[in-house]
Amino acid sequence: MKKILRIAQREFLATAGTKAFILGMFVTPAMIAVMIFVMPRMMQKGAPKVEGEVAVIDATGTLSSGLQAYLRPDAIARRRQDEIRKMQDAMPPALRAAGGGSAVSQAAVDQAFKNAIGDAPRLSVTTLEPGADLEGAKRRLAEVPSKDKAGTERIALVVVHADAVVLAPGKAQFGSYDLFVRGKLDDRVVDEITGGMRDAIIESRVRLSGLDRAQIDALTKVDRVRSRTVTASGENATNEVLNLLMPMAMMGLLLMSVMMSGSYLLTTTVEEKMSRVVEVLLSAVSPMELMAGKILGQLAVGLLVLALYLGLGLMALISFASLGMLDPMLIVYLLVFYLIAYVSVAAFMAAIGSAVNEMREAQGLMMPMMIVLMIPWFLWMPISRDPNSVLAVTLSFLPPLSNFVMMLRLASTTPPPVWQPLLAIVVGAAGAYGCVWFASKVFRIGLLMYGKPPSMTTLVRWVRTG
Amino acid sequence: MTGDSHMPHSDTVSSSDSGVSQAIVLCGLTKTFGTTVAVRDLDLTVPTGALYGVIGPNGAGKTTTIRMMLSILMPDRGSLYVLGRASALDAKDRIGYLPEERGLYKKMRVGAFLAYMAQLKGDNGLDLPRRIKGWLERVGLGDVERKRCEELSKGMQQKVQFLAAVIHRPDLIILDEPFSGLDPVNQRLIRELVRDEHRRGATVLFSTHVMVHAEQLCDHVVMIHRGAKVLDDGIANIRARFDPRSLLFEPLDPGADVNVLAALPGVAALRRDGAGWELALAREADPGAVIRAVASTLTPSRLEVRRPTLEDVFVSIVTADGGDAETTALRAAVRDASHAEGEVRT
Repeated sequence: MKKILRIAQREFLATAGTKAFILGMFVTPAMIAVMIFVMPRMMQKGAPKVEGEVAVIDATGTLSSGLQAYLRPDAIARRRQDEIRKMQDAMPPALRAAGGGSAVSQAAVDQAFKNAIGDAPRLSVTTLEPGADLEGAKRRLAEVPSKDKAGTERIALVVVHADAVVLAPGKAQFGSYDLFVRGKLDDRVVDEITGGMRDAIIESRVRLSGLDRAQIDALTKVDRVRSRTVTASGENATNEVLNLLMPMAMMGLLLMSVMMSGSYLLTTTVEEKMSRVVEVLLSAVSPMELMAGKILGQLAVGLLVLALYLGLGLMALISFASLGMLDPMLIVYLLVFYLIAYVSVAAFMAAIGSAVNEMREAQGLMMPMMIVLMIPWFLWMPISRDPNSVLAVTLSFLPPLSNFVMMLRLASTTPPPVWQPLLAIVVGAAGAYGCVWFASKVFRIGLLMYGKPPSMTTLVRWVRTG
Repeated sequence: MTGDSHMPHSDTVSSSDSGVSQAIVLCGLTKTFGTTVAVRDLDLTVPTGALYGVIGPNGAGKTTTIRMMLSILMPDRGSLYVLGRASALDAKDRIGYLPEERGLYKKMRVGAFLAYMAQLKGDNGLDLPRRIKGWLERVGLGDVERKRCEELSKGMQQKVQFLAAVIHRPDLIILDEPFSGLDPVNQRLIRELVRDEHRRGATVLFSTHVMVHAEQLCDHVVMIHRGAKVLDDGIANIRARFDPRSLLFEPLDPGADVNVLAALPGVAALRRDGAGWELALAREADPGAVIRAVASTLTPSRLEVRRPTLEDVFVSIVTADGGDAETTALRAAVRDASHAEGEVRT
């Protein structure tokens, strides 16, 4: 046992003690931090200002003034201010508080919102005669904008149908309008024009029907409500995104740490074989001791990865004031399933590492396992949406998938009854035992085999003869 | 030789005939890989405190035999006892092993690597760091303790690997081709270290395909050819058994007519041998009398009784009826390719 621990210790230090590992561990969180805090500031340049003329051919003769009013720069700016306020209101208060902790970052957040909306465009509305040459008017959209006539080039052409405001005889539906724009026009400007046309058309229709616009607005306005989740620890605004992300985060964490430590194990095993240090080791310890030590060492590496990312996740939850979302049992389950999934995968990795002569040969042998480990990703959506479907229940008792699928289900909105995760643990542990049994046979023979790269069938033959 | 405190006493197998405790006993060991028989029905007994050489050309089955001794490979048939145990696994900590396929952890520091290997052998002594330093200085690597293994030259790495096999003061040291890849100076150094370990009381068994190495070091030779043991005897016995009964002669005056020696009594034949001549002795002839007769006939610059080399012995055993081509090939297989044949023989 002492020797196994000594091997594990070396394995851990040889992996987690390298500069590459330490760097790698901090690169991902650092990248996330960059995305959140640095990117918005770098985007301060914003979208270019748009200036130009919107031509209107209005057969009804009632819409251009409404459009003109809607597109006035101050009207656009006011609407965008409202947007900003709405977006800020939608933000979780904790995040706003965290971001607003310093005046600088509050300004950065405002700036980020402003950038997302862009500077108010300066648009002039030109009314063309109803009988104007449509093709000629369209051609001006295709002209190359010239510097000396800046601000007057045509960026859009609106052609209103004759029955847009008044019903045509014998028809039940109003007409609409056609919109032509120049190439590469900012989609936010197009939104402004369609918004303005919609507003102007409704205004005209309401007025011509003898109704009161303000009254209709008031009658049709119902505020959008955000649900609040009631839990034992209190009442909180429901976080739909978190509800959906939690299962994936849990499973992703599990999969990532298993894959990471598993592939480290493969690398160190291949290295030991390639550098021929393995026979020296075998004179001191048995193959089983060597394998156990290596698996144990990389287990510690995986736990380190898991702890680091789990810690980051918890910090994020705390800052979103959503820690109540996380059932502490989930972390216990995460650790248990990590243990089982890791041992299963690691045993295979050790077997493959011992069988091949170099890393390149390992790729082919790893293929089946990689495919199996990809399945949970594809099933994330269907399983976390419907965690008690036949598919989900079946897969959660099929090792080694069971570990990942059960984690998805446990973190979902409708967790399975307690007996199911317990059964999954038993089944998973049995699967892990099987993997270790298979691996120990391959490991013993593979370590001293050099030459022809083995295939899966070779490995199975070794297990039979071993 | 067995007075060292590290020597096993209580748990060694005593052979019934001699009463000497045995470090290694192999009985009818057989190992097959696919259709190839690597080792065939091998019996071997290595007494405690002996210095044994296992020799034979590449592919003879030396490494397979050694791996079975260490329970790294399991024999198909036969039984074995190592340090009194039925499996070397039970005595691993008391065995030092330098495999033919040897390596180091490239990124590990030399001192840490040696400490690791010692600890895996159950040696957690407080004086380990001091011993590591001492050993490194002894092999001329006093300044590399903090260096990474990959920074060392190949020869330096070999020396570190040798240290890894002996650092924990094992009772039994098994060295598989310990001299391969070393220059003559380092070969001599390793030879001295092996002798020192032997003097300390350790039983040493080493394999080599270069017969000269065995002649220089061991007191007992086991020859393996095509998986079977063909010779198992002490060096002195081998010399007596395979005495070629001939003299080597070189005249002081290179222009002298040597042919007169052929007529001397006791000389059966005279033939050129390199720079000198070989005088085959007649049956029953006394070498001393012939030497005196030769010396009084022609003044020699060199005159000696020819000793059998292990190479000659090996070739004579395995090519009882072989042709010249086979003999040449065999001789090439058991010589050290790295330096000329004229290397100093002890």
